[in-house]
Amino acid sequence: MEATHLIEIPVTVEIPVGPQHPALHEPLLLKLYADGERIIKVDVMTGYNHRGVEKLAEKNSFYRDIFIVGRVCGICNTVHANCYVRALEYILGVDPPPRAKYLRVLAMELERIHSHMLILAVTAELAGYETLFMYLMRDREYIMKSKEILTGQRVMADYMMVGGVRRDLDEVKASRILDIVKRVEERIRYYHRVFQEDVTINRRLRDAGRIKHADALAHSLVGPVARGSGVKTDVRVQDKYDAYGDIPFNVITEDYGDSYARAMVRFGELYESINMVKYILTHLPQGNPVPDEKRLPRRFPVDESYAVVEAPRGELTYYVSSSGSDKPYRVKIRTPSLNNIVNSAFAYVDQMIADVPIILGSFDPCISCMERAVITDLRRGLKYRVPLKALGGVKK
Amino acid sequence: MKPALIKEVIKGIFAKPATIQYPKERTSIEPDFRGRQYADLKKCIGCSLCAVECPANAITMVKVPDEYVVPKTNARKIYPVVNYFRCVFCYRCVTVCPTSAYLITNEYRLASSAPIDSSELSLSTTTKVKAGDVQ
Repeated sequence: MEATHLIEIPVTVEIPVGPQHPALHEPLLLKLYADGERIIKVDVMTGYNHRGVEKLAEKNSFYRDIFIVGRVCGICNTVHANCYVRALEYILGVDPPPRAKYLRVLAMELERIHSHMLILAVTAELAGYETLFMYLMRDREYIMKSKEILTGQRVMADYMMVGGVRRDLDEVKASRILDIVKRVEERIRYYHRVFQEDVTINRRLRDAGRIKHADALAHSLVGPVARGSGVKTDVRVQDKYDAYGDIPFNVITEDYGDSYARAMVRFGELYESINMVKYILTHLPQGNPVPDEKRLPRRFPVDESYAVVEAPRGELTYYVSSSGSDKPYRVKIRTPSLNNIVNSAFAYVDQMIADVPIILGSFDPCISCMERAVITDLRRGLKYRVPLKALGGVKK
Repeated sequence: MKPALIKEVIKGIFAKPATIQYPKERTSIEPDFRGRQYADLKKCIGCSLCAVECPANAITMVKVPDEYVVPKTNARKIYPVVNYFRCVFCYRCVTVCPTSAYLITNEYRLASSAPIDSSELSLSTTTKVKAGDVQ
């Protein structure tokens, strides 16, 4: 029998990355559709880690919620607590003393330092550079120690309280934190040089997941991701909450918008945060920053408030509605990660599969389905594409 | 461009390890680290405020066993028992206590296969009733 059609089936594979994956740090499913090595489309599927925190916040009192919302995220727990506490302060009309505001900024900037160091370390790890990961994480431990000196615990600070902070900082502790930060600054300068000079990092990060300025705006990306694309957005400058209005710092932006630019934004912010920490420790106002938690009002007036904070990952907002009881009527949390991850699926398109680990994480390839086939009509020399299921109806 | 980390790695081979061999070697902990806390029964008035305010529902109010001395201020003769497996060590109980009855430590080594709570530590803060005394 004479052959009439040549059927080529390109392997357009669907590669699920996650939700359980040894290299991915969060239960997130990325469905990659790849044509050969090139990614055509990415579906981002979230919702594997739903814990009902907003509902839990409605069921608990205003003060219990301070500790509950701090546990939304381990890395940015002080910013979550700060945002919620400020929303409560707006309802109550409380203004914390200047020293408390400075100490809050100190805790949040220490958190930004260790968060950025973590993500830079993870970037190095995903680029296959585990040595750099280990060195960065070793030096991040000093910042965790300084957070322990300030707040009493390495990770879960539980530092924010309505009307101030929960513990004061004495001279000895302040000088210890200053020493640690100065030591870490030297190390960060070194790692910055490594990121700039190292051949592995440069080859893996450059041009990976480029987001143009217009795209970053159109998809309303926030935080270092937007700043890496040249969008000058920073809630610390726009809102000047707590002591950010008094403390000098710059907003770091990079123009190119690839993974390398985002890493460089984080390095720039590390320097800014370190300078802010140094400024705070040398310009700490006097006064008592610790409110008496026994004397805080139990019931809140009928009101609603909206607070916004620049978390290490971008703009974090809290909306708190009070119906006049001791429990909030509604707490709405809008986190930067959801915004950035769900809206940035376009950044993977046209990248190589090998670049996906850099853009988000590693992957576990598995051929799930083949989407389309190419049919060549050998007699007429025509090529056309049909859906795979239409192959059953190809006429001989 | 060059592999920039090589010098550091060679230095690292001869340096002291950065890791701590826990539990052989203890982690250095601040004296005011938020560790295990328990109520001092000499001060506790049994008001249950800590149990109400606990964000993790880790505290239950339990009757003080009859053989222990309870101050007159604790009329209901109850005391808080902290379940350390549930506790998140936020120290809200410590800060809301109206009589500052909580004793704080920086003890962080709380791994255990059996459930652990603060009842034994709290009861050790008070004395047993002597024979013949009436409470």
